[in-house]
Amino acid sequence: MKDYIATIVKNEQIAENIHAVTFALDEDVKVRCGQFGDIAVGGTHLLRRPIAICKAEGREITFCYQIKGEGTQKLKTMGAGTRLNVLMPLGNGFYVEKNEKKVALVGGGVGVFPLVSVLREYGASKEVSAYIGYRNKNAVCGVEEFEKATKFVGVTDDGSYGERMNAVQAFAKDLEAGNRPDVVLACGPTPMLRALKALVEKEGLNCYVSLEERMGCGIGACLVCVCDLTNGKKARVCKDGPVFKADEVTL
Amino acid sequence: MANLSVSICGVQLKNPVIAASGTFGFGREFNGLYDIGTIGGVSTKGLTLEPRLGNPVPRIAESRGVILNAVGLQNPGVEHFIENDLDWLKATGTCVIANVAGKTLDDYKGICERLDGRVDMIELNISCPNVKSGGMAFGIKPETVEEVTRVAKSGAKNTPLIVKLSPNVESIVSNAKAAERGGADCISLINTLTGMAIDIERRKPIIANNTGGVSGAGVKPIAVRMVYEASQAVKIPVIGMGGITCAEDAIEFLMAGATAVQVGTANFTDPYAMPKIIKGLNDWCDKHGVANVTELTGTLQLNQK
Repeated sequence: MKDYIATIVKNEQIAENIHAVTFALDEDVKVRCGQFGDIAVGGTHLLRRPIAICKAEGREITFCYQIKGEGTQKLKTMGAGTRLNVLMPLGNGFYVEKNEKKVALVGGGVGVFPLVSVLREYGASKEVSAYIGYRNKNAVCGVEEFEKATKFVGVTDDGSYGERMNAVQAFAKDLEAGNRPDVVLACGPTPMLRALKALVEKEGLNCYVSLEERMGCGIGACLVCVCDLTNGKKARVCKDGPVFKADEVTL
Repeated sequence: MANLSVSICGVQLKNPVIAASGTFGFGREFNGLYDIGTIGGVSTKGLTLEPRLGNPVPRIAESRGVILNAVGLQNPGVEHFIENDLDWLKATGTCVIANVAGKTLDDYKGICERLDGRVDMIELNISCPNVKSGGMAFGIKPETVEEVTRVAKSGAKNTPLIVKLSPNVESIVSNAKAAERGGADCISLINTLTGMAIDIERRKPIIANNTGGVSGAGVKPIAVRMVYEASQAVKIPVIGMGGITCAEDAIEFLMAGATAVQVGTANFTDPYAMPKIIKGLNDWCDKHGVANVTELTGTLQLNQK
């Protein structure tokens, strides 16, 4: 973990309301898939923006972000050459065990980007199936990455791209067809994760989910971004997560 | 190199820059970024006798120049702190200030007794705006400020007691004097100002607790004014805080009457904020021919009206 001074190389729209920003760093950064960075957009914005790392190659690092509030609006306008502070890598990230050969990725909305990082890390060594849900065809992104997976099922809420269903339904359908993974890795809106948690519990599947929460410090000191664990305790999403075992967390 | 060390109630600090409670945990996370033994002190996450789970999420929101938080005193309890964190924190070499809260007068006395002689200083949180049972009931009126201070001091016989004052009160001067009458060795201010931020799409407050404590750069002028007024009213030392982001901000508080300062929200914007402020203080003192940082305290000269 370090506060890097990062220079924007490219910052462009990749889907409706979704942008990708690529930074160049002065040094290499070692990142695990599913980790995030805390981006300082400056000015009157005192909090940094915690955003999942989508791609990290040597000294280049890419984050994909949804335009949600003033901070991401501001980030969107920043052009090549702009220098920002990025605290990273943060959080625990996803990890696939050696004996887990078949990996299912279930993602929706802006949650698809941490899964891109998983595919980049494990795509060559594992049999990866990606079940990705989008709102509609204008929101579709990351397809060129997901198509590198062993299997890619892209669906939309309105059927304007792929079948009309959500990511969990697409995954369930393939499960029924006999494509049973050793581990499920997921990121997306809470209702999606909740539906997935119910499904994997019923099926007895091993599953990890990446959570999102409003953060303060980003490093585990301020106890702002907590989630509830099934044992009655609280965990810090930024430091103990953002990736949790699905059966250990209350959604 | 200017001499940045300060003495508060007989406790020696390497420099007058202290991490504000709630923004720094017990120091472990920030120690992963820099040696926290280099900062003047750490005021711990607010401790209670029993562990607390805190408020529901979201616990934080942002507004231009400020943030709002309502963590609600989530903490592992004072025994867990003593067992797991205290020795480690002491060993870093920073000054250990235990921030404590309670529901009842007995709670305050009990937790002060438990920490008495074990930490460098105790900071009484009687102004947490985010929990009904966080001592705010004691922090509003001068009579109860005096009472809770007296009871806490009876538990903290051998440890300097700092009383942290709320700005959400009728008269900061009356409450500062009340803390002094109650036996406080020092006062710190300001805690956060109660505020609200609304998500207009949902027509609901962003923070689950509805209201939260406002802190950050935007509150600084209010804090400087209150530190000035309080320090004029009491003889005990004052620790100033509220929106300090850089060395120049810290110097304003010192000139207004503070002996030391605390830095909170700035740690979120820049995790290296405190080491930078300490370096900036040294540079400013050198540039202005100030040999000892203590020379700055209370040197404000008001304009003639």
